[in-house]
Parts: sequence; C-alpha cells; structure tokens
Amino acid sequence: MIDRMHRTNNDPGDVSRRTLLQSAAFVPLAALTLAGQPPAQQGALTPGQMKTLVAFIDGLIPRDDLGPGAVEAGAQIYIDRVLAGPNANEKSNFVQGLEAMDAYATRVHGAALADLSVEKRDQVLNDMVDTAFFMRARRLTLEGMFSDPYYGGNKNFAGWDLIRYPGPRPAVAAQDQALNVNAKPYRVSAYGNKYGH
Amino acid sequence: MAINLRAVDVAVIGLGAAGGVAVLPLARAGLKVAGIEAGTWMDPHRDFHADEVYNNVRRLVSSSRKAQLECPTVRATPSQQARSAGVHPMMNAIGGTSIHYWAQSWRLKPWDFRTRSESIRRYGPNSIPTGSTLEDWPLTYDELEPYYDIIEQEVGVSGKAGNIQGRLDPEGNVFEGPRQREYPMPPLRGAGFTDHMMDAARQLGWKPFRPPAAINSQPYRGRASCVFHGYCSAGGCHVGAKNSTAITTIPGAIRTKNLTIFDKAQVTRIITDSNGDSSGRVTGVNYIRDRKEYFQPARIVMLAGYTYENSRLLLLSKSKAYPNGLSNNHGQVGRHYFGHWNSNVSALFPYDINVWYGLPAQGVTVDEWADDSFDHTGLGFIGGASLHVYTERHPIDAAAMNTYGRAPLFGSAWKKFVHENAGRVASTYLQTNTLPYETSFLDLDPEVRDPLGDPVCRITAGGVRENEQRALQHAQEKMEQWFRAAGAIEVSKPPANGPGISTHAYGGTRMGDHPETNVVDRWGFSHEVPNLGILGASVMGSSGARNPTLTLQALAWRTADHLVKNWKSLAG
Repeated sequence: MIDRMHRTNNDPGDVSRRTLLQSAAFVPLAALTLAGQPPAQQGALTPGQMKTLVAFIDGLIPRDDLGPGAVEAGAQIYIDRVLAGPNANEKSNFVQGLEAMDAYATRVHGAALADLSVEKRDQVLNDMVDTAFFMRARRLTLEGMFSDPYYGGNKNFAGWDLIRYPGPRPAVAAQDQALNVNAKPYRVSAYGNKYGH
Repeated sequence: MAINLRAVDVAVIGLGAAGGVAVLPLARAGLKVAGIEAGTWMDPHRDFHADEVYNNVRRLVSSSRKAQLECPTVRATPSQQARSAGVHPMMNAIGGTSIHYWAQSWRLKPWDFRTRSESIRRYGPNSIPTGSTLEDWPLTYDELEPYYDIIEQEVGVSGKAGNIQGRLDPEGNVFEGPRQREYPMPPLRGAGFTDHMMDAARQLGWKPFRPPAAINSQPYRGRASCVFHGYCSAGGCHVGAKNSTAITTIPGAIRTKNLTIFDKAQVTRIITDSNGDSSGRVTGVNYIRDRKEYFQPARIVMLAGYTYENSRLLLLSKSKAYPNGLSNNHGQVGRHYFGHWNSNVSALFPYDINVWYGLPAQGVTVDEWADDSFDHTGLGFIGGASLHVYTERHPIDAAAMNTYGRAPLFGSAWKKFVHENAGRVASTYLQTNTLPYETSFLDLDPEVRDPLGDPVCRITAGGVRENEQRALQHAQEKMEQWFRAAGAIEVSKPPANGPGISTHAYGGTRMGDHPETNVVDRWGFSHEVPNLGILGASVMGSSGARNPTLTLQALAWRTADHLVKNWKSLAG
C-alpha cells in the first residue's frame, strides 16, 4: 500500500542548511495533525463526478436482500471527504479515473455510467475489474462502507452488519471470543453516539 | 553556531525500545543522562483509538514526520536505481515503535548465538549459504540470559516457561533455552480459535504453546491488564497494558531525577574531538530543536536509533579521525544488513472463527520447524520459521479479503460471500531465521535527501536468498498442514519474497570480536571509538525466527550495565 500521507522527498538539497533552519524545515505535516479533528465537511467532487461515483459504488455494493448498499451506507461521503483531506494528492488521478469510466461507458453503451441500465452498468464494472482505478476505487469504497461511521460512511452500521463484525467495544470478555459464536453486535462508534445514525 | 548545553555523563540518541530501556540502569547508577528524542510524548486519550482508519489506514499512531521525511530508498542490486521505500515503518516518539508494536517478546535460542559453528558441526561447512557473512555471536545465550530476565521483569512480559533450568514444561516452549525462572505474568488467555488450533497442532504430534508478550495478562506494577479489544496492531494501548518503554523503563529513569529528556530534538551529527587529540573520542551530539541548533556535550554517547538511522548517522558524522564516517575506518558500517524474511499464510474455515477481537500477541505458536529444532540433513537449508496464528481482525481488512476464486469482486454475489466468510479467515505470521550476506548493505543515497539536505539511508537488499526461501517454503507447507488438520477449506501461500524496508531490520553496526568484520565489540561499544556505544537490532548478526525486541532490549541493558561497571575506563 502506498501511504497517501507520505511526502516523497526528491528535493536535491540545493537549499542551504541555514535557510532551512530559519524557515521551512519544520512545517507541520498537515496529514499527521488531522488526528482528533472532526472529518472535513467540504467535499472534493463536483455534482457530476459525484453522480458517476454513486453509480459506480452502487454497482460495487448494491442494495439487495442482505441489506443496504454502499450508497445508502454513505461510502461516497467518505470518499468525497478523504479526497478533500488526507487523500487530496490522489484526487486528480481519481477524477481522471471517473471520467475515463464515463467515456468508456459512452463509447460502448452510448451513455454515461449513471444513465445506463443496471445490467449495462455492471458490464462496465466487469470490463474494468482488472484496472488500477477499479481496485483503488473499490478499496476506497470498502474503507467508506466498513470504517467507523465517524468518517461519514457505514451509516447505521450497515457495513459492519453485512460482514457480521460486532463492533469495537471497551473490553472483550473470553466468551466474546468463543469459536463459532460471534459476540452480540455493539453498534457504537469509537467516537461516541454522535456518529452512526 | 550551535548553542552549547551543560555537559552530561551520557547522551542517549533515541528513546525507543532500546534507548528507552538503557536509560534506566544508567540513571539508577547515578549517571546524568540526556535522552535526546526526535518525537515526543503520546497521549493515550488523544492519540490511541479503536479505529482501523486511524491506526491502520492513515497510520496516525505508527507514523511520524521525521521518520517519513528521511524514509530510506531501496534497490535489489547495485545495478538498479534505488527508489523511495514509500513508507518508513518505524516512528519517532518517547517509547518509539514500542508504543504500537505487537509486543511479542521472545528470547532467541542458544542455537541462534552459534548458528555458524553449530551448522558446520552438524551439517558440514557447505551448510553455510554461499555469500553469507554469518559469524557466531561474540556472546552465548547463557551470557545474555540474566539480561533477558531483567527485561522480562522490568518491562513486564507475560508467558509460560518451557524450560526452567533444564526442567521442560510442555505448556511452554520446550525448544527454548534454559531460563532461571518463570515469567512474571502468566500468558495471555487463548481465544476459541487459537485453542482450536492448539488442539490441531497437538493432534499432529507438535508442541504448541501460548507465546510471550510484553502485554499485561494481569495487573502488573500498577498498570492494567489487557482488555482484548482488537486494536493493538499499529495502535497504542489506551489502558496501558502494552508495555512500551514510555510507560515502564523511561518513567523509572525519570523518577531517579538523573534523566533529562530533550524531545522534538533531531540529532544531526555525532561530534568527534577536534582538538587535534588523536584518541578519536566523541565529545557529544548536535541536534536541532525548534529550528535552533544545540550541542550537547557528553562523556559517553549511546546511539539508539532504528537500524537505518544508526548506520546513516554514523556515515553522516565524518571527521578528520573518521573520514568515511564515525567508527567506519574498517568500512563495516552498513555491512551485514538484512531484513527479516517472513510471510503470511492465510486460511478460510467453513465456520465462524471469531477472531475479530484479541491482539496479534494472543495466539498459538509452533516452534518445531524453526531454528535447528529438526534435522535438516538433505533439505538444502539451515534454519526455518516459527509458525504463529493469532487474533485481531479489522472490518475494512476483512471485507477486502481474498475471495479464493469463489466469488466475483463486486455485486450481490460478493456481498453474499463476505457476509458469510469475512469472519472465517485466519492469518499467520511466519518468521524465518535470516542471515547476513555480502550483497546486502546500507549506505547513503547519492541523490535523495531529507529536508536538512542530508542523504537518506539507501538499502541494497541483495538478490534471491535460496536458503531463506527454502526455509520459508518448508514452513509454509507445515503451516498448510496445520490449517488443514484444523479444518481449513482454503489455504493461501503467498510466494516467499525477501523484504525491502522492514520493521525487523538488522545489522549495519554488527557486534563481534573482530574489528575487521564488526563495528561494535561484545559489549556494544565501538571497536574504533572508545566512548561510543550502539544499541538496537543494528548490532545483531542473525535474526532468529522471532521478533527482535526483547533481545535488543536485553543487549541494550547489558551495554548500559557494562558502562556503569567500567565507567572510569570508558568515560576516560
């Protein structure tokens, strides 16, 4: 996994040590200080880009008889927020990927992804399954659907219920770790009752 | 011009797993110690959360600015262009990586200290892999045993002894070397799944056991016991049950009033005497704090950074007496480097194994196929790997599971698959006995620099290691056998690939009796610089098939103890 916070550091070092000592050597690394702050409310994507993203994640994790899909869980909110915050350096790649997907849908099926039938939309997803963009967008969708609801997705703990993850809890007793018996779901965000509902 | 500070007896560079224990015996002996640390205190309430995004996706506990900005570059061989490793796996903080590590706290085996001579004795001279620079350690297990014992008590390690003064106990690891006494705490409890795996191993005739960890299985010295909540890996412990040096040995040293901590202080150079004195002694260290440069004079300097930084700082600290870097007149700094070979074999079970909670140190280990626990005649390798099955599974990681070809990657069929199977996957940690080779080394990158303009460390990982590869493949087959015996329906064995950047990085300042092939002597002091000690896994000449921390802590305490006992001759 590439760490999205990491600044690659190919500075040839032409700035003198003295200059650095006096100026920018100790700029705070913004991504590392996000800890504890509420998630960004301002998103990264335009309404058009969001429309494509929603169509994509609806295909990835649809609503069905097992329960809510990624859209209902709010995975797009998570993605929109992280692309405006800690993952900002991959925003342009991500947007290019959305645009390329729409261009492909239009070329093969005559309409943008959000305007295709479910069958044709799923066909586009299937055609893209080996691409780097698909795997990256899928990964971010999983993060949105299965992360703590503090981050904007996993609404009503839909993601955790889907995989039967019983949720973080302050302490875990031996019987909560028994073989073949999952602990009773504990639907509480690690950051309190303000999140998740 | 650097600001001169008041002189101290000992300047310790880095207050992590190694420096964080060494300060305690020094301070207790009455020496005035400056602990110079690039990071600062972490606050359990503010910094530690039961949150996968926070700990594992964004790495907000295990990542820190200074380490990331000097992330090493990696290449396989000298003919390749080295590229940034992307992520530095270690961190800067008071307590360092011991804050968020798995806390598996192993002693090495007696065999690990004498791998070269024991392998030659048992399997002949050709058993030593071609190109390996392996030497016997300059000390035996028996010489380190008292220090292992001290660390187990002072830091706090839970576990079950398998060999107390030669009396074997099958509840513990019967393959371990003799110990003087039992662990100070019983082992962490098992989970339903790890108990099941223990039964399966016994049915195979193996001798599984619950492994040691620097995690409280019961209240210990005023600190709480583990609550098994499932956010231990890459996370700090919110109840203080994970015995990082930040809550154990460092506070102990502070209480003596002999330790002063300089936090957020980035050491840039170790300074050598420039008065025309030919003794080659170091006089202190330069560091930067809040954009100002300081000089901390010290009679003894102890370098206790991570493996990559230890070699880098020595190579950067050039002087008239050490034109190729401090303690490098024999060209040994950066040599005998290696990253631990390891792998994860995973398995799918046909029922819920319920490993969501717990922690990686809650598990079951098998040592039959590690070290020299079995006869290697005709196998074509020496060493092997420990097999460890554990708990703690996070929801994003679980949803991103391997579908084993049983489901597509999206849609309702995928949903159905993860609904059923996300809680049925077991992970393992296989750690291989790894050796140093001529073609693996650290040096300074000729192009990539940190924000101060200093070159970062460059890792040359070396080529394919047939010995380690075969040892790991052998262990993977044993792991599959174990999983199948326990009822797994799918087993995935990823190919054995040698590591680039590693959380288990060894060498670069190897310990040994010969200055021609080693940087530090048997006590951890430089062969060339009489008042420079070096602490950390950078002094280890082989890895063993297990986590390095307890061993490097025992060595660090021993080096500090040696200094206390020989203060007059070493401090000059």
